[in-house]
Order: sequence, then C-alpha cells, then structure tokens
Amino acid sequence: MTKYSVQATTSSPEICFDPEVMPFEIKGESYPENCWAFYGPMFEWLDTFFSSSNGGLVEIDMEILYFNSSSSKMFMDFFDMLDEQAERGKKIVVNWRYHEENESAMECGEEFMEDVEKIKFNLVEYTSN
Amino acid sequence: MGMSLFKYYEEMQREGVILYFSGPVSQSIVEGIAELMRSKMRAEDAGVAAVQRVFAVLVEQMQNIVRYSIDRHADNGEQIGEMAYGQVVVGRDADGRFFVACGNKVETADCSELAEHIESLRSMSKDELKAYYKECRRNPDCITDKGAGLGFVEMARKASRPLDFDIVPVDGSTSFFSLKVVTQ
Repeated sequence: MTKYSVQATTSSPEICFDPEVMPFEIKGESYPENCWAFYGPMFEWLDTFFSSSNGGLVEIDMEILYFNSSSSKMFMDFFDMLDEQAERGKKIVVNWRYHEENESAMECGEEFMEDVEKIKFNLVEYTSN
Repeated sequence: MGMSLFKYYEEMQREGVILYFSGPVSQSIVEGIAELMRSKMRAEDAGVAAVQRVFAVLVEQMQNIVRYSIDRHADNGEQIGEMAYGQVVVGRDADGRFFVACGNKVETADCSELAEHIESLRSMSKDELKAYYKECRRNPDCITDKGAGLGFVEMARKASRPLDFDIVPVDGSTSFFSLKVVTQ
C-alpha cells in the first residue's frame, strides 16, 4: 500500500502515514478553511489501511501547535475511529506531543485522553524542537 | 470620507486598539492577521498562554466571518475560496486583558437562534462549558454544518468573562452581529 503524505501549509499540518515506517506523523497547525476537505482523504486512506493491515502496532505521533474548533471535531472523529479499530483487536498508540510551555496543547491532549477508551493515549512533553 | 485618518487613529488609541481591520476576509487574511498578532504579542513578551488564547479566538472569530457573513462575493473563483465582509478588532482593555471583537452582517431570521445559543453559553460555568464542548464535539446535532456552534463554546472557554454580543437591525432582512471576547 502506498504511503499517505501531505506537506504542511500555514494553516494545515504535515501528514506522513507510511505503512513501512512507524510512527505515523501529524505535525503543525490545523485551522484550514474547510476541515472536511482537508482531512477527508486522510480518513479514506485510513479506512483502506485498516482493512488491509495485519494487526501490527500502529503508532501515531501528533504534534499540533494550534487547532481550531472544526479540527477538534475532526480529531475526535479520528480518535473514535482508532478506538473502534482497537476494539477489534488492533494495537494502537497515540503520542500527543506538546511543548512544555504550550499549556493549551497539553490541556487539549488531556481532554482527548479522557474521551478515548481502547487506544493507548500518551501525553508527551518536549522541551525544544 | 475626509482625507485625514487622524481622528480614527486617536479614537483607536483611546480604546486600546492594537489592530483594526474592516473589509473582505478570506482564509489568507485569517492566516495573515492571526500570524501577525502572534508575532507582535511574542515580540512584546506576552505569555505563551495569552498569545495562544488571542490567536485561537481571533481564528474562530474571523473564520465565522468567512463562513457566515451574508455580505459576500457571490462568486470569486476556486483559488481564493470564500470571501466575506466583516470587521475585526484586537485590543487591550484598561485592566490589560486582551480582547478580540468581530462584526458582520447576518440574516435577521437567524438572529434569535444565535442569541439563544450565546445566552445559554453566558449562563454556564467553566465546568459546564467543558462538558458542553465535549458533548458538541461528538454530537453532530449540536452544531451547524460548518461547525459554528463549537467555535462559540471554544471562545467562551477561553474568555475571562461571559461573551458580550450585540445584534442591531440594519434593514428588514439583515442585522449586524458583533461579538466581543475578553480573553483570560
């Protein structure tokens, strides 16, 4: 299966999902004009990926500096999708990465963590780039 | 309009205004203004948390203009995306708190629902806002197609006091909606 890769813009993150290389990465800002148009293809790719994956560990690093409310909804849908896959026996780990000074990114991570059940959701603080 | 902008400048100074924008807003304007304010606040050594809150509220407010202002170009081609007329003000109140205010035209027919929604947020505590935010994030009925409902909840959570809003009739079918968010 080919990898899914999107370059970052001012308002949308870099996405790099390579089935051969863990972890998957989503990194940058997220406040595109139309969230569904931006994230829709990612969800489609993931549907195909999960239906063909062999059940190995899927690890996803997320390092989002800022995301708007529409992105927040997208991420919740994303984590719900991962939770559903984990329920079916897939091993899934999300590493929510935030800079030590970015209190708001940490709190957002905590709130996502409270709302997921089956996946392993780690809060990972880093001190510099 | 007279040549001199001095009287506007003086009034803005008096009101603590740092940035005033009035005109067509597109996604690239949202990005430009939000990034500009972030750089300016960082240069002035505002705390990381304060910068984040102003940035977040500014993006939500301006994206609401892009999505909901009814004063818009009917067709401006795919490259530019949506473009809609609105006003954006960022400033500091006398006590030093940053505020972000936006205004745009809306359908009068939508105003009672809008007012009801904001009034209900005004009556909620921080914990209630958090619970409501999480509920809306999962429940599609809670929000409109473009996601506005969640944006208001997000702004209410970042505010130091209940959201201030104002709706003024312009003509039979149009009203002017203003929202001021004083950040924590």
